[in-house]
Amino acid sequence: MAIEPIVGRYLNLEVDGASHRVFFEEAGSGVPLLCLHTAGADSRQYRHLMTDPDVTSRYRVVAFDMPYHGRSNPPDGWWLRKYLLTTRDYLAMIKAVWDALALDRPVVLGCSIGGAIVLALAAEFQRELRGIIGLESSAFAPGRYNEFLHHPAIHGGELGATYTYALCAPQSPESSTRENWWLYSQAGPGVYAGDVYFYSVDWDGRPNLARIDTRVCKVSLLTGEYDYSCTPEMTRQVAASIPGSRMVIMPGMGHFPMIENYPAFREFLMPELAFMLDDDGR
Amino acid sequence: MFSTEWLTQLQTRLNADPEMQVIGNWFTVAMSLSSEIERCILRFERGRLVQTVPSPRLDVSCAFGFRASTDIWTRFFSDPPQPLYHDIFAMLMRVPGFVLEGDSLVAMQHARALHRAMRVLRTVRPS
Repeated sequence: MAIEPIVGRYLNLEVDGASHRVFFEEAGSGVPLLCLHTAGADSRQYRHLMTDPDVTSRYRVVAFDMPYHGRSNPPDGWWLRKYLLTTRDYLAMIKAVWDALALDRPVVLGCSIGGAIVLALAAEFQRELRGIIGLESSAFAPGRYNEFLHHPAIHGGELGATYTYALCAPQSPESSTRENWWLYSQAGPGVYAGDVYFYSVDWDGRPNLARIDTRVCKVSLLTGEYDYSCTPEMTRQVAASIPGSRMVIMPGMGHFPMIENYPAFREFLMPELAFMLDDDGR
Repeated sequence: MFSTEWLTQLQTRLNADPEMQVIGNWFTVAMSLSSEIERCILRFERGRLVQTVPSPRLDVSCAFGFRASTDIWTRFFSDPPQPLYHDIFAMLMRVPGFVLEGDSLVAMQHARALHRAMRVLRTVRPS
């Protein structure tokens, strides 16, 4: 028997006049590392990171479920509103959790929609950040939204899970890619679609990339070779727009590195976590 | 590409797949595979590939199908597969020459079993 060191709790907070009950979990101590899950998923995707002593010995790793996801409730009155995540609401929720937990100059790591929004965080709050690590980061990703993601004649849980299973690399361990499938199958109706709305319709981070000063806020970008949602070329375009950013294309990796193949992913992640801790006179 | 010999191998492989036996109960559908010069139809009943029809005539109907050039199919069958050609969803999004034709609603209703069938199909490499 083994008890994992991860501890989960609930946070009650107000964001833009709405009350939220938000689940977060954490492990470790040190520099705050705030982790953002992918569309339609939840913080369980970071379980390997939160149980890796090489990470938790240096970082306080915190991951939370966005409202509507995992163990975080939707806000009251959710049945009267179609869930469509926007850049503005996404930024506000992350900053509210960050402030509520008093995370001092955190590193923010996000994947997919999280990998997109970290670019906006770096533009808006760079003086309050140590750095960002963008996994599968794109500044503009049209073409993903489709009506079948929330359709009465289609099992949305199975479609979303199968679609995202396909986003994993062929080389990733079957048990890990299936675990991600299982997490995705549990999304509430329309939640994955509402997140994809942000990613593929509302989000355009391109105009703000030039505002990111990597002398103030470090930027590391890691993207999987097999990611067809955020292709390596899309991340190369982001990197080219942020002078001083670091970028690695991970061979044999797909769209969900932290959950689909953590042993391989950590080889790429560790140098970036060390880079974030290096103060180099800042 | 879709020879009688290949279709026989595919039928044997698919009908021995333990996952399809778990998830295929509602997978009753006919679908086509096409290239520039070939076409075949696969007819499934409750997850079992019960009939394959090479070069079907017009009286063999199907709900949907995948059409691509021989070059695209060859990349799909390669091992390891080239990125963007490694999965039907990747190709539907990023390979313009890979086309889902017919009723896409029926295809997506069967997304899980269809995806599994195409995963197994990819392991039966044409000679």
